[in-house]
Amino acid sequence: MSEQMKSLEFDVLVIGGGIAGGEAALNLANLNYKVLLVEKELSIGGKMIMLSKVFPTLDCAACITTPKISEIARHPNITIFTGAETRKITKIEEHHFEAIVLQKPRYVNVTDCTGCQLCEQACPVSVSDQYQYGLVGRKAVYIPFSIASPRAAAIDIENCTLCGACERVCPTQCIDFTQTEEEFLVTIKSIVVATGFDLFDPLKIPRYGYGTFKNVITSMQMERQLAPTRPYNTILRPGDGKMPDNIAYVLCTGSRDKSLGNPICSQICCMYSVKQAQLLMGALPMADITIYYLHIRAFGKGFNEFYAQAQDMGVEFVKGKVGKITEKENGNLILRYEDIEQGKVQEAEHDMVVLSVGVLPNQGISDAFENKKLELDPFNFINQADILASPAKTSIDGVFVAGTASGPMDIPDSILSGGAASAETTSYLRRALL
Amino acid sequence: MKQKIGVYICHCGGNISDYVDVEKVRQSIEHDEGVFLAKTTMFACADSNQKEMVEDIENEKLDSVVVASCSPKLHLLTFRAVTERAGLNKYNYVHANIREQVSWAHSDNKEGATQKAIQIVKAAIAKVRNAESLEPIKVKATNAVAVIGAGVAGMRAAIELAEAGADVYLIEREFFVGGRVAQWDDLCITEETGKELITRLYDEVMKHKHVTLFTGAEVVENKGSVGNFTLKVKVTPRHFKLNCISNELQKAIDVCPVEVPDEFNFNITTRKAIYHNYPSEYPQLPAIDMKNCTRCGECEKVCNSIDFSQKTEYLNLKVGSILLATGFDPYEPKHGEFGYGEIENVVTFPQFKRIVHYCDDKLIYKGKEIKNIAYIYCVGSRQVDGENKYCSRYCCTANIHTAITVKKKYKNIHNFHFNRGIRTYGKAEIWYDESSRLGDIYLQSFEHDPPVIEKRGDQTFVRIKDILTTNKELEVVADLVVLVTGMVPRKDNSIANLLKIPKGRDNFFNEIHMKLRPVETVIDGVTISGASQGPKNIMESMNSALAAATKSFELVASGELALEPTVAKVDEQSCDWCGKCEEACPYSAFDKIEKDGKFVARVNAAVCKGCGMCLPVCPVNALDLIGLTDEDVESMIDALIPTV
Ligand SMILES: Cc1cc2nc3c(=O)[nH]c(=O)nc-3n(C[C@H](O)[C@H](O)[C@H](O)COP(=O)(O)OP(=O)(O)OC[C@H]3O[C@@H](n4cnc5c(N)ncnc54)[C@H](O)[C@@H]3O)c2cc1C
Ligand SMILES: Cc1cc2nc3c(=O)[nH]c(=O)nc-3n(C[C@H](O)[C@H](O)[C@H](O)COP(=O)(O)OP(=O)(O)OC[C@H]3O[C@@H](n4cnc5c(N)ncnc54)[C@H](O)[C@@H]3O)c2cc1C
Ligand code: SF4
Ligand code: SF4
Ligand code: SF4
Ligand code: SF4
Repeated sequence: MSEQMKSLEFDVLVIGGGIAGGEAALNLANLNYKVLLVEKELSIGGKMIMLSKVFPTLDCAACITTPKISEIARHPNITIFTGAETRKITKIEEHHFEAIVLQKPRYVNVTDCTGCQLCEQACPVSVSDQYQYGLVGRKAVYIPFSIASPRAAAIDIENCTLCGACERVCPTQCIDFTQTEEEFLVTIKSIVVATGFDLFDPLKIPRYGYGTFKNVITSMQMERQLAPTRPYNTILRPGDGKMPDNIAYVLCTGSRDKSLGNPICSQICCMYSVKQAQLLMGALPMADITIYYLHIRAFGKGFNEFYAQAQDMGVEFVKGKVGKITEKENGNLILRYEDIEQGKVQEAEHDMVVLSVGVLPNQGISDAFENKKLELDPFNFINQADILASPAKTSIDGVFVAGTASGPMDIPDSILSGGAASAETTSYLRRALL
Repeated sequence: MKQKIGVYICHCGGNISDYVDVEKVRQSIEHDEGVFLAKTTMFACADSNQKEMVEDIENEKLDSVVVASCSPKLHLLTFRAVTERAGLNKYNYVHANIREQVSWAHSDNKEGATQKAIQIVKAAIAKVRNAESLEPIKVKATNAVAVIGAGVAGMRAAIELAEAGADVYLIEREFFVGGRVAQWDDLCITEETGKELITRLYDEVMKHKHVTLFTGAEVVENKGSVGNFTLKVKVTPRHFKLNCISNELQKAIDVCPVEVPDEFNFNITTRKAIYHNYPSEYPQLPAIDMKNCTRCGECEKVCNSIDFSQKTEYLNLKVGSILLATGFDPYEPKHGEFGYGEIENVVTFPQFKRIVHYCDDKLIYKGKEIKNIAYIYCVGSRQVDGENKYCSRYCCTANIHTAITVKKKYKNIHNFHFNRGIRTYGKAEIWYDESSRLGDIYLQSFEHDPPVIEKRGDQTFVRIKDILTTNKELEVVADLVVLVTGMVPRKDNSIANLLKIPKGRDNFFNEIHMKLRPVETVIDGVTISGASQGPKNIMESMNSALAAATKSFELVASGELALEPTVAKVDEQSCDWCGKCEEACPYSAFDKIEKDGKFVARVNAAVCKGCGMCLPVCPVNALDLIGLTDEDVESMIDALIPTV
């Protein structure tokens, strides 16, 4: 390890700043442990901060996430690195781990940036906005999204032409092209892995036409269209900017399908689809919404009632498997599906299709462990070594898992799991004192 | 009166300034009495602006601050912290909401919105003028937690709390620990049986000198509040001396003449008045059930460990927090519901688990070998007419898992699943898949069209209009019908009333915030976990138990709690106890005390939430809220009425 590398010391390293990692970090910080929270994206908040409203309470996701996020951000016992990666995690002995944290350059001095967005206006380069899931564009210098934490600009150096326009307009001179990658050697006593989940990429099911048919979108894109910080201020078909009035949901996209290598149910997509259907009925009162499903997994507290509410509101539920989607000239879509109740194959036309994409393991973090193996379960989620008695335990003593890193779950379950991880971390740390 | 008020008006990007002329708001208030500095800012909450505020407060010696921005729910604490960092008492900060209450509400009328924003900021300034420095109410917190219920959730929480460093009182109503899981034997998710899991947890519990376990114990009284609860616990004796000789014990059981239905086996068997649930039950000491014991004294003659002189005891425990883990009851079908109680081969899923436990190589019930099993799902859940609208979450998975076990354990089993749409969510899907592969038959109907059970001759038929085969009417002859019953709240849930824990629509204990705070309750210091909060499987119960342990521990760990000082106060001069406030208070914050020869009301500041419900009911106006006095409110109302 290089001589000039800065060393840092904390009690706990939390990897992943979604709601699960955030909850674990806060609990530990409140017990006076020093926590380093490393997030690979430019903002903490994970998927939750990007959502519209949440089932089954229909609370505005941004409004309930931001106070939590600011509590994490201002906690004196929590240090946050965003846009950073964790590598080379080594267990030296019990209660002693080392890791390399790589801080990637943001090319903006975060403490001085006021988020005025003048640089965004000045920048001539437009690219697709990953935080809006490609629905709109952004500049090469950009504030990730309006409620990001930290709410500071960053430069996407791959797309930047180094024209210097942003530098000239920035009122606080916080743009700094001299920033370079910085490595830190971090010593910790314990680790919480809260790296969350990935969404299924529907390009893997070509017969659904995602990527080819413009009016076939994913549920996360719909989530963004429905959010208060939404890009269009209303619901539009990406194909022609028309307001849709007959929307279909295709459940289990990428889940419960062995041919795609994912035999399990994603646990959340039924409910988020039922939620989106209700929100759409509010946003587009004249629209028809049809949900094509195999089973509706409305199992949690208040879920079945929420499902019944959608039925009462007039959302159509069709028990059937969608085989293929084709596009008409006007951009409308024909769904060919097996109607289970009727016992035959049917076709239906919709002007927009939402694919309820499933939850996949976010692989990769296990590769960062050097001398001990962080084991995965048969579905490539992080294995829970003692799932019944200690659900946060992993194959490595002192490394705990929180949230969807161990399997699909919704927000309250992620918070409970984050709580469990912090509890087990606490007792692990206490054992160091004995 | 404040002389140097700093006012910051936020653009919130464009969230506010697109609809409110923030500069006009600034100009309209900058000359108000006491205002020393008035600024607009792009994002008040941004670190850069926070820094600027701190510098302003320090350099200009501001004595109070107003920020007009988004809802106080989001950033009240942020700006209080800013004032505190600048060395000001944080109660000299007042928040004005001009986003949710103005710009978002009146996006169609910029002029009107701006006017409203001005009045709201003026009201905030009026309030901050009277602001007083307040100190948080400090209460000592006892570093001990009472865990109520020693099922899997309670035991797990107790272990964690003890490891973290708290004293734990684990209070179990039954004579034996383990709750429901002890009854299930085979469990899904792992190979471990219920008994093995309970053994593991019990051993851990007993290893900790900081855990004190009480069995046959129940909380009967609760006093105090967060940090300092006093619980009165009634401990019923088991009438056994500590060291019991097991061969004598069996003799005692044999001679006991009283036979009652065995609840542990859901009444499919009987037990004696002197009993244990299973030979290795914990604690490994039997008990005498005095409700059924006739005091015949037969057992005493053959066993020296029996001691009828033991008396019910009452203990007082002081704890800083209470963690509830009282679990659930399986739904008990009504007489005649799907033939239950009328047709002899109709049993519930919990009974079925016990039957399977007792049958080794052949599945036999009431003397008859079972081959064809019909499972009726959602009994007592997802009700159309009944109260229970919810899904019980655990049952699809647990039942399919049990059906697979049964198929593997015995020969020639045929499983027929009469369901309403299988809910094997998440990874449990693999068992659904496995059972289909093993040849189990699934038949489905919707809620309003449940299957029908009929006895014809000596055969039991289950009939369904099956939507999976285009609504064909199908019928199965079943040797055994298993009603897959859901979870309901404990029948005896008096503990909820004792602690004032609210219940949800489904009658399970209710958390304070369904999404973000799933184990905390509106009663400060009381957390909820496991199936008492709603149906859960074991892993989910453990997660919630551990999360609740963290929250409870957080409260007691520091030894001291800082509570909001914004509570009600009583003017003892004018108060002449009438008790109206006590009735109005939803949190029971009032005590009646004697002071200078008369009775007056006293507010328990640790319990009061400052909700203000008591103020309007007081006939002599003896109540006021600290931090939001009548004077404050009146001055705000005056400021809200525009001067013409
Ligand atoms: C379309 C959609 C709608 C939904 N709607 C709802 C709803 O209404 N209600 C509800 O309860 N749930 C809903 N959910 C589920 C909810 O989003 C998840 O339960 C929740 O976000 C899980 O939180 P998490 O922290 O486990 O994971 P994530 O939110 O995925 O957070 C993980 C974090 O870790 C970071 N990370 C990953 N790898 C690394 C690494 N190697 N190093 C550092 N950081 C890393 C990620 O960038 C991310 O910030 C919805 C999900 C989707 C997809
Ligand atoms: C038939 C059936 C099969 C199941 N199979 C599985 C399975 O295979 N896998 C799985 O993961 N889950 C299974 N479950 C779910 C599992 O039983 C629950 O998740 C678990 O029991 C919940 O634990 P708990 O500690 O919250 O509650 P409980 O097990 O109900 O324990 C609560 C404890 O609190 C005590 N108590 C109650 N009130 C008081 C009071 N006032 N004072 C003191 N003590 C009190 C009770 O006596 C009890 O000991 C099954 C459930 C059923 C009904
Ligand atoms: S230097 Fe790069 S980021 Fe800045 S304005 Fe030019 S292209 Fe955009
Ligand atoms: S939650 Fe619903 S949509 Fe998602 S995989 Fe499971 S059954 Fe399919
Ligand atoms: S888990 Fe299955 S059996 Fe239980 S109530 Fe829900 S749908 Fe019915
Ligand atoms: S303010 Fe509310 S909580 Fe406090 S004493 Fe009055 S009624 Fe009770």
